[in-house]
Amino acid sequence: MQQIYDDIRGDFRYDNELNGCLNCGICTATCPAAHFYDYSPREIVQLLWTENVEQIYDAMQEKIWACAQCMTCAARCPFKNSPGGLVAIMREVAIKHEMQSAKDVLRPFGRVMLKLITTGNQLSPDMIQPDHFPDWGPNIQKVEGDLTVLRKAIPVKTLQTVETAWEVSLKTSVEMYTIWEMTGVLKSLELMDENLFDVIEDFIDEKREEYDEWLEEQEDDD
Amino acid sequence: MKPTDQNGSPDTGIAGHGSFFQETNLSREEAVRATDWVRKHVDRRTVDLGERMDDVREHMYELEKEGEIIIHRITDEHEPMAVRTLFGWEKKVPTKQLWHHKSCGQCGNIPGYPTSLLWFMNEFGFVPGKDYLDETDQTSCTAWNYHGSGIGNVESLAAVFLRNFHQAYVSGKQHGHELGHFYPLVHCGTSFGNYKEIRKYLIESAELREKVTKILGKLGRLVDGKLVIPEEIVHYSEWVHVMRNRIASELQKIDVSNIRATAHVACHYYKMVHEDAVYDPEVLGGNRTAIITSVAQALGAQVIDYSTWYDCCGFGFRHIISEREFTRSFTMDRKIRVAREEANADVMLANDTGCVTTMDKNQWIGKAHDQNFSIPIVADVQFAALACGADPFKIVQLQWHASPCEDLVEKMGISWSEAKKNFQEYLKEVEKGNIEYLYNPELAYGGQA
Repeated sequence: MQQIYDDIRGDFRYDNELNGCLNCGICTATCPAAHFYDYSPREIVQLLWTENVEQIYDAMQEKIWACAQCMTCAARCPFKNSPGGLVAIMREVAIKHEMQSAKDVLRPFGRVMLKLITTGNQLSPDMIQPDHFPDWGPNIQKVEGDLTVLRKAIPVKTLQTVETAWEVSLKTSVEMYTIWEMTGVLKSLELMDENLFDVIEDFIDEKREEYDEWLEEQEDDD
Repeated sequence: MKPTDQNGSPDTGIAGHGSFFQETNLSREEAVRATDWVRKHVDRRTVDLGERMDDVREHMYELEKEGEIIIHRITDEHEPMAVRTLFGWEKKVPTKQLWHHKSCGQCGNIPGYPTSLLWFMNEFGFVPGKDYLDETDQTSCTAWNYHGSGIGNVESLAAVFLRNFHQAYVSGKQHGHELGHFYPLVHCGTSFGNYKEIRKYLIESAELREKVTKILGKLGRLVDGKLVIPEEIVHYSEWVHVMRNRIASELQKIDVSNIRATAHVACHYYKMVHEDAVYDPEVLGGNRTAIITSVAQALGAQVIDYSTWYDCCGFGFRHIISEREFTRSFTMDRKIRVAREEANADVMLANDTGCVTTMDKNQWIGKAHDQNFSIPIVADVQFAALACGADPFKIVQLQWHASPCEDLVEKMGISWSEAKKNFQEYLKEVEKGNIEYLYNPELAYGGQA
C-alpha cells in the first residue's frame, strides 16, 4: 500500500499537479463525473494532500476510473491543482500494481485497445455500426448502402478505409510497435489482459514480417 | 468623508463591509502600486500561475541555442496570422503549407470535417502537395487510449508526438521542398491538448528528452541527432478562426442570419494548457475562447448562449465505449436539453471528434426516458462549408451523422432530398469505380500534383 502511494508521489508530474488544497470544491462543482458517480475530484486531492495512504488505496479500487479526463477541474482550481492529472498518474500506478479494479474496468475497453495498438487508429467505420452501438439508434447512417462503397464516396483517398479510420502505412505501424515495446506499453497490457496481449503480439509479429518482406522486395527491385 | 457602517457610525470599518474592514490610508502612489499588483496577479487574464505562466516557447529557444533540439518554425512562407491567447501571448497560426494531422475518431465517425477542411483549402486555390499534404505516414496521438485506460505513459505519448511531428518536418522532401516546408495542423482536440502537455513535459524534463531521444534514434527520426519540436501546436479550428473573414467575404454563398447557433468548445482545446487557447476581445468580449463563435459570427449566424456552455460533452474516453449510461445521460441532460430549451438552437457547433460524436450519436436513446430533444451537431468547418455552398453529402458528409441535420440544411435553403438523390446517383458511379477526389490521391504516396 505504501509502495503504491510512493509510486504516485514519485511521478515527475506529481509536484506540478498538486499544490495544496483549500477544500473549496470548485473542481467537484464543475466535474461531469461527480454528477453521476460516487466520485469527487476534491476528495482525490484531499486524500493525496493529507497523505491518507489507506483511503488512497481504496479510491484506486474504483473511484479513479470514474474521471472523464476533461480537465475542467484543472482549469478551475485556484490552487493550480490538476485532479484529473493526478487521476492519470493513479491509473498508471494501478496498472503497474496489477490492481483488480484496473483489470475489471478495462476489459470492455479491450476492443479499442486492440485497434489502437495494432493499427494506430481507434474507432473504425466497421465498429460504428448498430450492432455494436444499439443505443445510437437504427439510423446511424443517413444513406443506405454498402459500407465500403460509402467510404469510397469520401473524396479523400486516405479515408477510404473500413477497418481503420484512415489508411496507415505499414512502416508507420511498425515504428509504433517499437515505441510500444521500448516504453513498456506492451508490458502494461500484458499485466492487465494476457489474452489480449497474446493476440496483439501475434498481430505485431505478422505485420513486422510483412514489412520485412516488403523491404526485401524493394531491395530486389533495386 | 469618513466611511460609516450600516448604522451610520464612523470608525467601525468601511461602509457595508463590517467592522473588520478598515481604510488602508495608503498614499495615492501606494494605492496605485497596490492596484497594479492586484491587476498583475489577480486579474482573470493574468492570474499568477507561477511556473505554469512560463512561456514554454522561451525555454524551447534556449534549448535550441544550447544545441539540444531543433524547433520546427513557422516562417513567412507559411503565411501566418497572429492571434492572442488567454494570457495575452501572441501565437502564430500558419495558413498555408499544412500537414494534415488527422484524428482517429473524426475520420471514422465524422469524415465530413476533414473533407470540409480540404475543400476549403482547394476553394482558396491551395495547391495540393505544395500548400497542403494529406499522407498515410502518421498514427493517432494515442491519447484517447491513454486517457481512457491508463495503458500508455508520458514516454510513449512523447515518442508518438515526436515521431509524427518529425514526419511532418521531413514530409516536404519527397515533393522537392525544404525541411520544415509543411507545418502540422492538428485536427483533433484531444491530440491538440495532449501534444501541448507533452511538449511542456519534454521541455521541462531532461530525463524524458534523453529517454525519447533513444527511441527516436532507433526509429531514424532525429535530425542531426536532435529532437524536432514544433514552435506552435496549431488546431484546425484556429485555422478556421484566422480564415473566417476570408471565408465569409470570398466564399460565402448562403445567408445564415436565420440560423440560431450554439457553440460547444472541446475541453481539451481550452482547458488543457489553457494559457495557449485563443481569445479575442471582439468575440464574446474575450470572456470565452474565440474559436467556433468567431466563424459563426463572421458568417452572420445568430450565436445564442446557454447556461452549460462550459460543461464537457460527456465523452469521457473510456466512458463512451464501456459506460455509455454516463455519456448519454450527461450529454442529454447537460448539453442537448439545455441548448434546445434555453437557446432553441438550430445547430450546435463543435470543434472536436469526441464532442461531435458524443452529442451527435446519443440523442436517439433519450426517447427511452421521454427526453425527446434533438439538435444537429456539426463541426464549425462543416457549417462554414455548407454556408459556402458545399454539397451536404459529397463534401460535408452529413450522411454519417445520427442527429437530425435535415431541418438545418433545409432552413439554410438547401434541398436535402435533392442532395440525397444526387448522392445516391453518385454512389452508383462509385460502385463502378468513378470516384471524385478533392486532390490527386497519389500525392499521399509521393506522386506529383
